Amino acid sequence: MGKRTVEGRTDGDAQYRISRRHFLISTGALIAASACSTTPPQPATQNLPEGTVKLTAWTIGPDAPSYYRRDNLVAAGETLGKAVAAKSPKTSIQVDATFESGGQWGDYLQKFTLAAEAKTSPDIILAGHENFAPWVGPGYIVPLDDLIKKYQNEGDIKDVIPTLWTAMKLKGKTYGVPQDTEARPMYYRKDLLAKMGWSKDKIDGLPDAVKKGEFAWPDFVATAKEAISKGIVGPGMGWYSRPSKGADIYMFYYQNGGETQDSATAKLVIVKDALQKHFQVHADAVVNDKIMTKTIYGMDAGKEWHPTVTDGKVLFYNAGTWTWKDWQATYKVAEQALWENVGFMLIPAAQRGGKPVTVSHPLAYAVTSNAKDQDLAFRLIANATTPELNSKHSVTSAHLAVLTTQKDDPTYKQDKFLLATQYMLDYTKFIPNHAKFGVYDDVLYRFLGAVEQGQFTPAQAVDSAVKELQGQLGDELIVR
Amino acid sequence: MARTQAIALPRERRTAAWWRTNATALLFMGPAIVLVLVFLLAPVVITFVMSLTDLATSTGLSNWQWIGFENYARMFRSQFWLVILGNTLMYVAIVLAFNVIVGLGIALLSVHMEAKAGGVFRSLWLLPRISPSVVYALMWTWAAASPPFGMLNYIVAPLGLEPRFWLQSDPWLIVILINGFVGASFGMLIFTSAISAIPQDLFRAAQVDGASALQIIRRITLPLIKWPILFVLVYQTMSLFASYEYIYLTTNGGPGLYATETWSLWAFHTALSNYYGNLDFAYGAAMAAILVLLGLGISVVLLRVFRFEQLVAEPRVEVD
Repeated sequence: MGKRTVEGRTDGDAQYRISRRHFLISTGALIAASACSTTPPQPATQNLPEGTVKLTAWTIGPDAPSYYRRDNLVAAGETLGKAVAAKSPKTSIQVDATFESGGQWGDYLQKFTLAAEAKTSPDIILAGHENFAPWVGPGYIVPLDDLIKKYQNEGDIKDVIPTLWTAMKLKGKTYGVPQDTEARPMYYRKDLLAKMGWSKDKIDGLPDAVKKGEFAWPDFVATAKEAISKGIVGPGMGWYSRPSKGADIYMFYYQNGGETQDSATAKLVIVKDALQKHFQVHADAVVNDKIMTKTIYGMDAGKEWHPTVTDGKVLFYNAGTWTWKDWQATYKVAEQALWENVGFMLIPAAQRGGKPVTVSHPLAYAVTSNAKDQDLAFRLIANATTPELNSKHSVTSAHLAVLTTQKDDPTYKQDKFLLATQYMLDYTKFIPNHAKFGVYDDVLYRFLGAVEQGQFTPAQAVDSAVKELQGQLGDELIVR
Repeated sequence: MARTQAIALPRERRTAAWWRTNATALLFMGPAIVLVLVFLLAPVVITFVMSLTDLATSTGLSNWQWIGFENYARMFRSQFWLVILGNTLMYVAIVLAFNVIVGLGIALLSVHMEAKAGGVFRSLWLLPRISPSVVYALMWTWAAASPPFGMLNYIVAPLGLEPRFWLQSDPWLIVILINGFVGASFGMLIFTSAISAIPQDLFRAAQVDGASALQIIRRITLPLIKWPILFVLVYQTMSLFASYEYIYLTTNGGPGLYATETWSLWAFHTALSNYYGNLDFAYGAAMAAILVLLGLGISVVLLRVFRFEQLVAEPRVEVD
């Protein structure tokens, strides 16, 4: 047995021997080379448990066509299962996901809160981005930043549209992976505008005129009034806003320069001037110009609102992009009939030359603190975030892309409605991520109702609403 | 020392005697006392204790703090607590009057009918009570929907009434009718059995003496069913203060600014129902605590008005 060398050969293997000097030079060169080069990302490793890992998830529509929120997780379970089995043959993945169709957001969120306290919540919860704020304090959901970094090459989460990550953040930490987003257009009836004497070019050019600020809110109101005066639509049917609570009402606040959250302090903000203009828009519509029926507040969406608008009785109406599919699925309107009779545009700017607006409400998957294996729960979400799966959801439910790569996806590219509304994300705003946003929203929504019912003038409503907000939110509110 | 012993001995004897007298009663009442403590008293204490914290969705059960009476201060800082209190008192008073008067009216009418017809008549009035609350409320909501959808508009059209969205134009009318029809059936059942229990001799004697129907009701029936009337009044008052489900399912406290919001609905909205899931449990508990105090105060007034102690006093049996 000869003496062992650095390279582990015996003295007898003289041709393989190198001097100490050569060895030091070679090692130094290797270290330098590796420092200068870009290391290709290595797949993250995880200690996998043996046996079947059951991952549970809760998702909701409430619109029926959004079932891919559940099905994509199930599909991702198969991909993840294969990846896991390749590393650890004794490990398998089972996904148990639910989807609530037609339910209420409030009930769904309350169910999760109670389950989280009872430590029976699922591993993954789908919710609106603003729902995460109240869940962070008690630790119902976990920050994902480390997991995003660790599994950056899993699925296609690296391709998520950057602005959507902004909506997922609270105090610098990321709590969700965007599942979908949308815009909330102003829909209009092409057939009714034609009856008013509008040319086809003018009707088809309306979205562009709105985008350029050439067709602004005063033009919108004048058109609706004209339709009523000419008997094209009935009284109060010039415009239907959303009949119940939701992010849509903030479009008219944002349209007039409103802000909801201070970027520096993350406190809630109310801009008095914008609030008054927002109230004025609705007071004029219902009380003064009478382009919107007084019965809009509290109108049954399923039994009155949708049947009326799909029946072609209303000139302008607000709804989400997903409603395009819901009208086809639930209200049995043929897609061709929609394309022929219905157009969609941004919410016109407050004044000519101004910027139009819309609101988006990205939904996201979050990992709960109850998840027994948070790595696997996150990896399941990551595997559900691919152009193929997200595009399936997008085209089925008319939700917009969350991945930059979706625009090249063959499925997504086939859907002309999605392509035609994608630009709206350039004009979109979000509602704030704040634990007390629900209180803020409740006060503003009640006062909006009071203005529409003629109980308050816009000026009275602003004074009273601001006072109420200050009383309820204290230091968490900034008044501008 | 001797003096102390002399006083202590009778006290011990008195205690022993008290136990001998009351042990059996306590034994039988024990289960009921435990139930009252666990299900009635404990929730009130828990509600009050919770109202002194900041417990909310955003704190969870692990992150809350004591904040003293801040929730009560916040409640009275609201510009609308007085409006909501006024709504509550009006709602309780009108629905209570409806329940008792209509319930009594149906009971009086039905006991004077032929027995089978009276039974059918009462069964019809029981329908709102035996229908599931949600189904019953939704039927009203759809019936009162805005034209041309609401069935109510077609029913009242022959009366010359303009079609309207009843839940918005006359929300209180709908809320009172929905609750009133359910509540009246409760009074009807209690009063029917109470009237039926009155000895028939009294009515016959009055008729022989030439009393009119109204005189019989005023002089015989009503005085003899004073205890059931008190029971219905107190029970229904408490129920109405705490009930909100029919308002929630129809107007949801609107239209507009707290138009039909009652105190219990306000507490429910705050503690258990928020569109964005921001539930304020402790603030809602403070509202519920005020409701408990309000209910207690009104119960005491009713018991005094009806001289409760006399009603439950031991009956004096006169033996010839």
